[in-house]
Amino acid sequence: MGNKQTIFTDEQLDAYQDCTFFTRKEILRLHGRFYELAPNIVPMDYTDDPDVKLPMQLIINMPELMENPFKERIVQSFSEDGEGNLSFNDFVDMFSVMSEMAPRELKAIYAFKIYDFNTDNFICKSDLEKTLNKLTREELEEEEVTLVCEKVIEEADMDGDGKLAFADFENMISKAPDFLSTFHIRI
Amino acid sequence: MHRIEAGAGDSDYDTHPFGTDVMWQTNASVLRHRGHEEQTWTETFPPTRENALENNWVDMWLQNENRPIKDLYCSMQRKIEIRRKQERKMKKKTGLESWKEEKGRSWRKFRRKMSVVLQHLILWKGSLQTIGGQFGTGIQSYFTFLRFLVLLNFVTFLLVAGFIVIPSIAFNELGLNQTVSHSPNNSKCFEYNPNPQGLERFYVFIMNILMGTGFMEWTYMFYGYYKKTSVNFSNFSYNVPLAYLVTTLAYFLLSLLWTVIRSVQGFKQSLITDDSSVNNYTDKVLAAWDFCIKDEKIITLKQRSIRYELKVDLEEEKIKRLHAQRTICQRAGIYSVRILLNLIVIALLCGAFYCIYRSTQESQLLLALESVKGNFILELLAGYLPSIVITAANFILPLLFNITIKWEQYILSVEIRLTLVRCVFLRLASLGMLLYSLWNNITCGDTENKTPCDNCGYNYVENKCWETRVGQEMYKLLIFDFLTVLVMILLVDFPRKMIVDHCSCKLVQLWGQQEFVVPQFVLDIIYGQTVCWIGTFFCPLLPLLNTVKYFIIFYMKRLTLFSNCRPADRTFRASNANFFFLLVLLLGLAISWVPVLYSIFVMTPSKPCGPFRDQAFIWDTISMAVESLPKVARNFFEFIASQAFAIPLFFFSCIVMFYLMALGSSYGKLVKTLKDQLQMERSRKILLNQAYQ
Repeated sequence: MGNKQTIFTDEQLDAYQDCTFFTRKEILRLHGRFYELAPNIVPMDYTDDPDVKLPMQLIINMPELMENPFKERIVQSFSEDGEGNLSFNDFVDMFSVMSEMAPRELKAIYAFKIYDFNTDNFICKSDLEKTLNKLTREELEEEEVTLVCEKVIEEADMDGDGKLAFADFENMISKAPDFLSTFHIRI
Repeated sequence: MHRIEAGAGDSDYDTHPFGTDVMWQTNASVLRHRGHEEQTWTETFPPTRENALENNWVDMWLQNENRPIKDLYCSMQRKIEIRRKQERKMKKKTGLESWKEEKGRSWRKFRRKMSVVLQHLILWKGSLQTIGGQFGTGIQSYFTFLRFLVLLNFVTFLLVAGFIVIPSIAFNELGLNQTVSHSPNNSKCFEYNPNPQGLERFYVFIMNILMGTGFMEWTYMFYGYYKKTSVNFSNFSYNVPLAYLVTTLAYFLLSLLWTVIRSVQGFKQSLITDDSSVNNYTDKVLAAWDFCIKDEKIITLKQRSIRYELKVDLEEEKIKRLHAQRTICQRAGIYSVRILLNLIVIALLCGAFYCIYRSTQESQLLLALESVKGNFILELLAGYLPSIVITAANFILPLLFNITIKWEQYILSVEIRLTLVRCVFLRLASLGMLLYSLWNNITCGDTENKTPCDNCGYNYVENKCWETRVGQEMYKLLIFDFLTVLVMILLVDFPRKMIVDHCSCKLVQLWGQQEFVVPQFVLDIIYGQTVCWIGTFFCPLLPLLNTVKYFIIFYMKRLTLFSNCRPADRTFRASNANFFFLLVLLLGLAISWVPVLYSIFVMTPSKPCGPFRDQAFIWDTISMAVESLPKVARNFFEFIASQAFAIPLFFFSCIVMFYLMALGSSYGKLVKTLKDQLQMERSRKILLNQAYQ
């Protein structure tokens, strides 16, 4: 323990501490978790910034994400290519934003991205229907699903275009008191 | 929303690239957007995270907002690059600037290290995280509340021990300057010897521990044992009665401050979300999913509960529409049913209060009976009669409330709130009733025969040391409450789980597993805390007992949660709860002040026991202490206590209160106006959209 680790340089660890909400120990632990997902692909030595990406299938098998109905969307929102392949930087970024200490505005942006299934920068009715089905395991009837989605758009849509832009979403999130405590993953 | 054309020159507009003004507050500056010509920052979300870096707005945002890099929305790679740029800039800065940056950097590092250390000191952090992860934040809020009360009780105990108990023990051991109360003509009031003489049976020993009588009465546990000690060395003087009184006021003030500080957070939240019904569905669909949960079973349960809640909400809409269509006849019918049921509820409450009132008197009478004295079980039952009646009332009446409210035909949310309000009233009022009947007993309030009170100013015949008697009642309430919780967990929850698991008959499955009903449990612990607050003046070691009790309850409840319970059908919203329960706790605190202040200002202290013997009132200690202060301080205190100060202070507080109320209502009006404006803008946009099509 202590300063004898050889995975990152001290400068890298300082950079991670400034750019994420994690401490030094947590970053090293995260690297351990990342390594466990694919020990033969992930190098132990990150001092030269290797470009290693893990496919989505490996990430969504993590116990923190495995049962989450939105696991694919979460991983896709944080990946550079939108396909769900995460480098270690993206991995750390994901858990940093989802940690307890990230501010509300940042979480709201990523929540918007997660619920935007067709990535058109709007949460439209079909996105809401998909969200609702994931939330209720498709056990609601069709007409109930439609009714609830209509009510959501009615409540949150500010500019009347029938879909939620980010401004609408953020306005609604600012009034939801539980959002900060529920939108977080502990690792 | 403003649009920035690509390649535009100095424009007056400033738009946050995310199209919202929420995070964006700078003066006019130029935004140059490099990219495709037709791409403009409109209301849409920025296309990719990379483009965010291409603009100066990042640097401006970081500088003007003074926010750390970690709050930035862009990929980790970009954040690291921005940080490198910042470092390089810092190296170019002049001596003073770079020194400031250095200091800022090292201060941030120090704070990080400190917060890591402090994290380790937080009590039960791991447990709370596991509970939150498995069962959600609603149930976690119960355990957080319990932890808050454990800490509050512990700090109260430290205060009491440090200023009252330990000095008393020290002075006792050193055999110092103790004033012995001289017995004048009416020596009848000064006989008091609770210490048992001779050998006792073992069961009497247990009885004394459970009831606080006998040898327990003459220990540091109860008020009666403390003496009117005051030591006066050359440079050290300590007045135990004064310390007793001042510490009492101190811990009440501490509890008030701590609870208020905690509830301010919750109050802000509930102000913002006061019209939560407006955003009901959006909250449930977009902001309610708990990303913490890892367990598959719990996730299934959570999904089921979301489905249940949405169905119930849709049902409620239908019912609301039906209710609005009620004819006058039907409405009259419903109102008369409601009035009748409310009368029934009031009658039930009065019945319960009368039972509690009688039980206190009966308890004393029964204990004096010869047939009861020899029998262990009967004596225990007689002594605990008030506690048993209160607990029974608090158990049976809520069940009856649940039944009657179904007939009152309210919508579900109103139903839940009304039941909760009734339960809160029942709990606090039943405690109040017990205290009232105790006080009647001690001051011969309602009996025709007032002779027991003539000699000594209080009912000397039945209670030689009335403060100890009150302390004993609170002590018994605390123990009984603790035993009830243990019995419920061990003898009801566990067998229920075993029966439900192994017996597959339909009735049992319908009964199902125990639900972890947060509101009822929170009311339980608030009740226990109120008892502790009332009792601490009369029984100084009660906070210690309460700390231990809540400590054990934490572990027992956690055990039963993990082994026996399923989450409630209706998700419990932590945010609403936190504020409401802290409010009820403050109500309990206010109620607990009443008996203590009444005892200090109005009642005659007991003659043979306690640190305030042979005074007319307990408050005289303060008056005597103020007398002995130097002239300036004495004049100051006399001025504060006089009417010349109190009345202007009262008027001043009224003025401040009215001003704040006016401010609050004007803010409320402002919020409403802005909301209406938003609505108007929205309709205008819809109209414009339609007009242009």
